[in-house]
Amino acid sequence: MLATGPHAIRVDRLNKYYNAHHALKDVSLTVENGERIVICGPSGSGKSTLIRCISRLEDHQSGDITVLGHRIGHDEVSEARIHREVGMVFQHFNLFPHMTILENCTLAPIRVRRMSRADAEARAMTFLERVHIPEQAHKYPGELSGGQQQRVAIARSLCMMPQIMLFDEPTSALDPEMIAEVLDVMIELASDGLTMICVTHEMGFARKAADRVIFMDQGEIVEEAPPEVFFSAPRHQRTKDFLGQILSH
Amino acid sequence: MADTMLHTSDVSMGPPRQGALEKFRADYFGRPSDVILTLGGTALLVYIGWHLFQWAILDAAFSADVGAKACEAKAGACWSVIAARWRLMFFGLYPYEEHWRSGLACAIAIGVGILSCVPYFWTARRLTVTWVLGFAAFVVLMRGGVFGLSEVTEEQWGGLSLTIFIFAAVALIGMPLSILLALMRRSSTPFVSVPVGLLIDTVRSLPLITILFTVAVVVPILVPSWLQGEKLYRVIAGMALFFAAYQAEIIRSGIQSLSSGQDEAGRTLGLTYWQRMIYIVLPQAFRRALPPTINQMVITFKETSLIIIVGLFEFLASGNAAYGSGEWAFAYVEVYVFIAFVYFVFVFSLSRYGAYLERRMRIAQH
Ligand SMILES: Nc1ncnc2c1ncn2[C@@H]1O[C@H](COP(=O)(O)OP(=O)(O)OP(=O)(O)O)[C@@H](O)[C@H]1O
Ligand SMILES: [Mg+2]
Repeated sequence: MLATGPHAIRVDRLNKYYNAHHALKDVSLTVENGERIVICGPSGSGKSTLIRCISRLEDHQSGDITVLGHRIGHDEVSEARIHREVGMVFQHFNLFPHMTILENCTLAPIRVRRMSRADAEARAMTFLERVHIPEQAHKYPGELSGGQQQRVAIARSLCMMPQIMLFDEPTSALDPEMIAEVLDVMIELASDGLTMICVTHEMGFARKAADRVIFMDQGEIVEEAPPEVFFSAPRHQRTKDFLGQILSH
Repeated sequence: MADTMLHTSDVSMGPPRQGALEKFRADYFGRPSDVILTLGGTALLVYIGWHLFQWAILDAAFSADVGAKACEAKAGACWSVIAARWRLMFFGLYPYEEHWRSGLACAIAIGVGILSCVPYFWTARRLTVTWVLGFAAFVVLMRGGVFGLSEVTEEQWGGLSLTIFIFAAVALIGMPLSILLALMRRSSTPFVSVPVGLLIDTVRSLPLITILFTVAVVVPILVPSWLQGEKLYRVIAGMALFFAAYQAEIIRSGIQSLSSGQDEAGRTLGLTYWQRMIYIVLPQAFRRALPPTINQMVITFKETSLIIIVGLFEFLASGNAAYGSGEWAFAYVEVYVFIAFVYFVFVFSLSRYGAYLERRMRIAQH
């Protein structure tokens, strides 16, 4: 187990380049234990890049990231540690199509946490119940709807008992009628005290579940505020324009 | 109104079905030209089929008791040559009294091959145990020198057992090697990916024959004798490398076709590199690469016949010897038909098995 520091995540003057493209510019951000953060912003503003840096899917060029008291280096050891404590849910689910739902959920607990198969399956069933699809356990991902697949992906991450969950636009590949079922699950998680960072444009979710909303544009954090303030009294013009755009739909 | 009702009820019944007989008649006897083609084609097929049947069955000699002279006089095929010479074709120069060992070893190799095609054996442990035991049993039987079996050195191995042994060994060594090469070529470290890429491309740009000559003829000249090993094993190593170079590219293309999200999902779950490869990436890559993989196996099986040129006495070479001894020299057609038939049995089973695998995976994955 990692020693839990005062903050869940601390990002300090983070800079990330894709070749010449400066994707994150001096980004600083602190997330407390149990805090729920929503990140929004226009396409290409660096939201995915930020949470992919936190989850070690991308290397950064300068600045520090500290997760649960551990400063992230570029080595394998810290990567493995981070991945055991930080779960991630992707826009395109990324379930393993050649395994059943149950196998998807038990693979990492068995191989990484060294749990027995019986224990891992029991835990998987608990979380599949929490996302309301225990009856699909023996099907393959291809047999499930998008909303169901995304809920399995959430359960699969939870089976590792992470302390932090990262979501990268978990509902934007879904049909409208499936968005609600995924958001409901996420709201339930939020009320359980899990630390969450969620990139999403679902402003209803931000209002209900977020402690803080962060607005990014062109690789910078432009504004951060509690949802009541963020939606009613945005300070920056760029935020106002963005909110005007997405709320007008 | 009634018309519309009828129409909608028709639609709800699904598309109208055509009887098999009607379809057959429409496809083959629909127009006058169809009738001519169908009848003409059938007549031709019957004519050829009848003549083949006459040659291969009706007028043929089967028994080994029919002497070469009497056999040659017959109008039809002379299968007696097979009956008289089958031991040479199947066992080559292997000592006559010990042929049962070679036959049993062959049966074991085929048995292991069939077992490893059964899904029950598809765990790393079961496959390894089956292969190691099977391989050990094969070598002990063939080579002897233990358990009171007389020793038979590799130069005396031959015939179908040798062909199967080489194929099994090449696949068994080449497959893991190809996975390693594919993964190394994808490495993010240029020190690994560049030399491996060069190696693969070099081997692929050489004809198999040059590789066989190198390992069989050039290596003994250049390499000190204690390092050379038996020619048979050098040939196997050369063929395995050749197989692995092609198969590595097949596997790599399978890996490349997966979305990067698969590997990323594995990483965020805390799986190590090898765990991600073994449980997530390679199983999916193999499924996608299955048709070309079976193709590569088929090619490799047939390419074992090339080792005849470096003086190993495999199935085809033994076949040449079977008719090459004066009295049966006229019966080469029968011998080659028989050899082709044996190759066909193996290769056709391999492709049918590939088709079965594809169907099975479609069902499992949708
Ligand atoms: N692998 C990559 N290689 C090069 N450039 C990249 C890469 N990934 C992202 N970028 C660039 O970095 C910038 C930030 O991308 P990012 O994916 O973080 O945006 P985003 O805010 O998540 O956008 P979206 O809402 O469309 O997902 C974009 O300009 C993008 O083109
Ligand atoms: Mg994004």
